[in-house]
Amino acid sequence: MEGTVGVVTQFLDSNIGVVATLGKIALALAIALQVAPIMVWVERRQAAFIQRRIGPNRVGLFGFKLFGLGQPLADTIKLLFKEDFVPKQANKFFYILAPIVPAVMGLLAIQGIPLAKEIVVGGHTINMQPVSLNAGFLYLFAMSALGVYGVALAGWASNNKYALLGGLRASAQMISYEIAMGLALLPMVFIYGTLDLQAMIAAQSDSLLFGVLPNWGIFLSPISFVIFVITMFAETNRLPFDLAEGEAELVAGFLVEYGSMRWSLFFLGEYAMMFTLSALTTCVFLGGYELPWLSQSELVALLTPVFSAEPATWVASLIGLVVLLTKTAIFMFLFVQARFTLPRFRYDQLMRVGWVYLLPLALVNLVVLALIVGIMRLT
Amino acid sequence: MQMDLNFIAFVMMGLAATILSGVMITRRWPVSAAMVLIAVMTLLAGMFGLLEAHFAAVAQIIVYAGAIMVVFVFVMMLLNLPPEELRFGGITWGEMVLIGVGILAAVFLGTQVGQGLLTQGLESMGVAPGQTPAHARSLYFAPGENVKNVASTMFVDYLWAFELVSFLILAAVIGSIVIAKKRSADNANAA
Amino acid sequence: MLTLPELGLYFSFLLFLVGLAGVMFRKNILFMMLSVEILLNAANLAFVSASRITGTIDGQVVMFFVMAVAACEAAVGLALIIALYRTKASIEADDLKALRG
Repeated sequence: MEGTVGVVTQFLDSNIGVVATLGKIALALAIALQVAPIMVWVERRQAAFIQRRIGPNRVGLFGFKLFGLGQPLADTIKLLFKEDFVPKQANKFFYILAPIVPAVMGLLAIQGIPLAKEIVVGGHTINMQPVSLNAGFLYLFAMSALGVYGVALAGWASNNKYALLGGLRASAQMISYEIAMGLALLPMVFIYGTLDLQAMIAAQSDSLLFGVLPNWGIFLSPISFVIFVITMFAETNRLPFDLAEGEAELVAGFLVEYGSMRWSLFFLGEYAMMFTLSALTTCVFLGGYELPWLSQSELVALLTPVFSAEPATWVASLIGLVVLLTKTAIFMFLFVQARFTLPRFRYDQLMRVGWVYLLPLALVNLVVLALIVGIMRLT
Repeated sequence: MQMDLNFIAFVMMGLAATILSGVMITRRWPVSAAMVLIAVMTLLAGMFGLLEAHFAAVAQIIVYAGAIMVVFVFVMMLLNLPPEELRFGGITWGEMVLIGVGILAAVFLGTQVGQGLLTQGLESMGVAPGQTPAHARSLYFAPGENVKNVASTMFVDYLWAFELVSFLILAAVIGSIVIAKKRSADNANAA
Repeated sequence: MLTLPELGLYFSFLLFLVGLAGVMFRKNILFMMLSVEILLNAANLAFVSASRITGTIDGQVVMFFVMAVAACEAAVGLALIIALYRTKASIEADDLKALRG
């Protein structure tokens, strides 16, 4: 028995990099897969609350009602057992491929989020960002850019006029808003001087702004924050930008020929992408996994007398993860609140907002901040 | 071991990209061709990543697969073209021979002359063939510095080229708007 | 054994051949443009590989310029295709013979 433990310990010790990477990826996947069911429930409950209905509150677990938290489970079971059906006129290969694209891209994108500061296990420091590329958060952009093909493909492969219109709208919208999104984040890159999300988070927590406020991106560049949040809605196809679906005029847009599990795969992807972009906003503008006035390194120093040195980093990272999820949850709440508060844009309004208002605003913001940062660097 | 894995992955990606681009040029539906091309570009991005050009890899996906190809797909869906009949006619045997000769010449140029030029260039930098210059190695392979190096080279050594390209993009934007604009009735009468 | 960047040069050659075949054999302008994208991608692969062989960063910088030019080419080319389709209702290269005597 002891021999087995020894072998296992030795294996873990020599392959710590591989094991840690797999663990991090599994953790991020677990979070991403939990987002969709929970958000479905939140969305339905919040809609009911806004519309003065009761909403799903019956399905519980083991005899407890739990405010209807069992509802997503029941929904999933229903969707799984529905007839899986491919329309005769559809292009079969791309019809089946289309829902897989956004789901896979959503689950891949979430791997680029730093979940917590590094932890120390057995003398090895483990960075808690599953995919840590040199190009930093551009990885997230790449994945979210590929996600649009799911919608475009679904629209084309369904071989249905409404679906095609939905796909067309989605691709035009995605291109228009991606530019403003990138330009909104660019000032943050030269303010922090890095593309690496963890370095950005570190820069946000190491000092105080004017001695009072935490040194967060939202205070350094509020216009960037506003533009980024608006474009985030457009990139994830959420109301008031869900022209690709548009139940009123396009029946359901690209989703019109989809049903059962394929339909819900689109939503798995959409919610995963919502979560990823919310977490990205949190990391760039709201200090990520750091508490406002208490940085992770200070937290570790505080916790070290209570626990010993290594478990202190674990507890601090756990707190960091909870902080990150809390901040992200605020944005998810905003998504749902906006969906049931704001009316949908008309298509020409959508294009005008993107090209005539957001893009010039982002450009002016970029130039002004570049000048300010340049002058501050010189002096 | 690490090297071998990279090598195998690189060869697989390269072969897949070549085969898929062959598949692409024989599609009948434009949208399927575009989707296959996106797969090729993603594979190329993976190859760039293995060559340690991380920024190039990400830009390949964002700009090529994420922007240029979306415009292609948009136009294909806008025109809603019927599938094209594949016609490979119109090539005579003489032209085939010429193409073959051209390919052979390209192979010769690439493997003999190009190799020679490359070796010569590396020797002028004081490097033996197959080796990487020592000073460059520290610049190029410094961990976490790829983006910084690309940026500093682009905005210092290639500043003029950069500005010229930005003018080219501006001209292209204006040109494409003018070309694609719907002509109003009186405009059409005047023309 | 070949190193990775040398292999990259060979693959770039193969990709270029395939793209060239596409440009030469397809009659549809849209497909010709897609094949041109393959050509540009092959050139990019060659540039990045060369950048790795010589150990300088210039090849990667040139790759970005190629990408920008590709974007221009796509924008203007697609605008032309739309305009053509509007006037001729066809985007076959063989149908564009208004200037033939």
